[in-house]
Amino acid sequence: MGTEAKKDFDIYEVFSQKNVTSSFVHQFSLLAPNKEVALTMARENFLRREPCFNLWVVKRDDIYGLSPEERPFLERLDNKSYRETKGYGDLQARWRKHKERYEEQQQKAKSGS
Amino acid sequence: MQTRMEHSELTENEKMEAFLARIDRGEKIEADDWMPADYRNQLIKLISMHGISEIMGALPEKEWVPKAPTLRRKLAIMAKVQDEMGHGQLLLRVAEDLMAPLGKTREDLMQDLFTGRLKFHNVFHMEAPTWADAGVIGWLVDGAAIITQTMSLDTSYAPYARALHRICAEEKFHAQHGESIVLELAEGTEAQRQMLQESITRWWPSLLMFFGPPENGTITSNQSANMRYKIRSQTNEELRQAFLTKYVPRIFHLGFTLPDETIHFDEASGQWIYQQPDWEAFKLIVKGQGPRSAHRLNLRETSYEDTKWVRDAIMSFGRQAG
Amino acid sequence: MADRVLIETAEQAKQNQEYAQALADLLFQLADDDFILAYRGSEWLGLAPHIEEDVAFSSMSQDMMGHAVMFYEMLESLGLGKADDIAQLREAKDFRNAILVERKNGAGEYNDNPHYDWAYAIVRSYVYGLYKQVRLEALQQSTYVPLAQVSRKMMTEHRYHLMHWQVWLNQLANSTKDARQRLEAAIAKVWQDAGELSDLGPSKEQIVRFGLIAGEEILRQKWLAKTREIFQSAGLNWPGEPGTASERGRAGEHTADLEQAVATLSEVYRIDPAASW
Repeated sequence: MGTEAKKDFDIYEVFSQKNVTSSFVHQFSLLAPNKEVALTMARENFLRREPCFNLWVVKRDDIYGLSPEERPFLERLDNKSYRETKGYGDLQARWRKHKERYEEQQQKAKSGS
Repeated sequence: MQTRMEHSELTENEKMEAFLARIDRGEKIEADDWMPADYRNQLIKLISMHGISEIMGALPEKEWVPKAPTLRRKLAIMAKVQDEMGHGQLLLRVAEDLMAPLGKTREDLMQDLFTGRLKFHNVFHMEAPTWADAGVIGWLVDGAAIITQTMSLDTSYAPYARALHRICAEEKFHAQHGESIVLELAEGTEAQRQMLQESITRWWPSLLMFFGPPENGTITSNQSANMRYKIRSQTNEELRQAFLTKYVPRIFHLGFTLPDETIHFDEASGQWIYQQPDWEAFKLIVKGQGPRSAHRLNLRETSYEDTKWVRDAIMSFGRQAG
Repeated sequence: MADRVLIETAEQAKQNQEYAQALADLLFQLADDDFILAYRGSEWLGLAPHIEEDVAFSSMSQDMMGHAVMFYEMLESLGLGKADDIAQLREAKDFRNAILVERKNGAGEYNDNPHYDWAYAIVRSYVYGLYKQVRLEALQQSTYVPLAQVSRKMMTEHRYHLMHWQVWLNQLANSTKDARQRLEAAIAKVWQDAGELSDLGPSKEQIVRFGLIAGEEILRQKWLAKTREIFQSAGLNWPGEPGTASERGRAGEHTADLEQAVATLSEVYRIDPAASW
């Protein structure tokens, strides 16, 4: 750390959590000289009306992310139904069939006795 | 934010073509995406003016903050003006990120404001001499702003869209805050009604000017560029017509008049016919020759200069030797 | 204490005239302190050193004014008139705030060439805030139950404010030489008035006897101990015993600054107090 003063404030990204079970969500960014000041200003700048359970500020320079050229690579083929419930849509019908067959058998057994 | 360096193999022309194709497909552009210098400059111009107008716009209403007539109104107008400062913050952040590659910061924006290079909205150069003006600003000036900002919600520049979504949500409260003040006066004593009528009369030309000069068939190169890039989607006149449709009947319903006896809605053309404000005066106002331009700029500049030591101090906190 | 009977409602309080009078005397101090300092805060709106801070600072003025409203409403429930009238139709001499909170923010008027002093804003808010914390804690033991309840509610917001002021005090104290000097000058200025904060006014004897709040000396010692600790951790010199202004705000003696504040904050309302605004 140098002894020289900075020329400009830094950019801090603000994240907040609405309640204990919700995830942290990015809100917006603000200018501040350091993290302490950033944190004291964060809620009032972006959450004046919304509930706020917890807050983070992160210096933008410390975030590592994808470049614009890389972002399109996040797109996926739509062939992964095996990961989702919609890939198992036949299960209910099959269970129903088993239940009906069983009930039919029970019915027959009853009327037969 | 840090990212891996990417080397694009496209030529400038190919980049431009790809960019325009993205705009045409309705895609949104992010701050770190490639964009033509012209697009960046149009955005900087538009958003920095919008942002600084919010900051300057806090001042006419702020004149009434300490004087608001009831405890509830004192709290509400403080919250409202605070929101305006907050909107300025959001928009300036968007503008600052756009200016960063050009080596410019918020400090430069403030200096541009003080030297007159950065203009702010015509309405905020005007006088607000009575409490009714606080109501009319909230009701009609914010009403006009909502119309412009709603139109811009689907702007092609994603960070601007995100800021506008936050802003529009709060503007609804602002309009209600203004309506509440105005209705109280309109339903009040003769003196209160007169105060309100005078305020409506005073603000009318400024409200017409708010949307900028009409196109009269030809649109400026700025406007057409903004529309090509889908930064905005409607013309000045279309916005003004939407404003008149929403507000002129309401003004009449309250039993107030406009300083334009001939204003009417023409069924045949589907347009409001109204007297044009003095567009020459408009040019002078936004140049900084409005009745309160110098006063408000001076207020902003002195307070900024007086508190420079504070910014210097907190910037050096934790960086002292030893 | 023999007199320590809990009073649950305003109606019950009004049955003992002496109790109701002592309670009202205390409530005026609480309400007026918050109201006038929040008013001074509202004058700062749009003029703070940094846009983000301007927004944050305003929330604290709003919260503080919100607390004043709660106290004024308690006075209203004791039959002392409408909260709006109490706040805006009294003369300066009827206010019971300490002199510290009425001082102007600096030279000029909020709309006429203001040259406001941010160091004074920080020190005044923080020193008052530290006293308010001690006072709110003491009020939680008040025999007047509604007062104990609102004090508990206010405490959450108030602690958040203290966090804010602490960051500011600490940063200004440990940054540039210029800031340090301005901060020390602001402390000296605040210190000339701060001693009055723990003054419970002419009816202090009844206020304490009815168990509305702890005695002055207890409040004062707690507050000074806490403030001393804060100054020390920020590396600031302890300015010694706080002084008091020549006027005694708690007894209705005020400076011209309060007259200006009252005239401004009631300007519109006084056009026609019978009208609806």
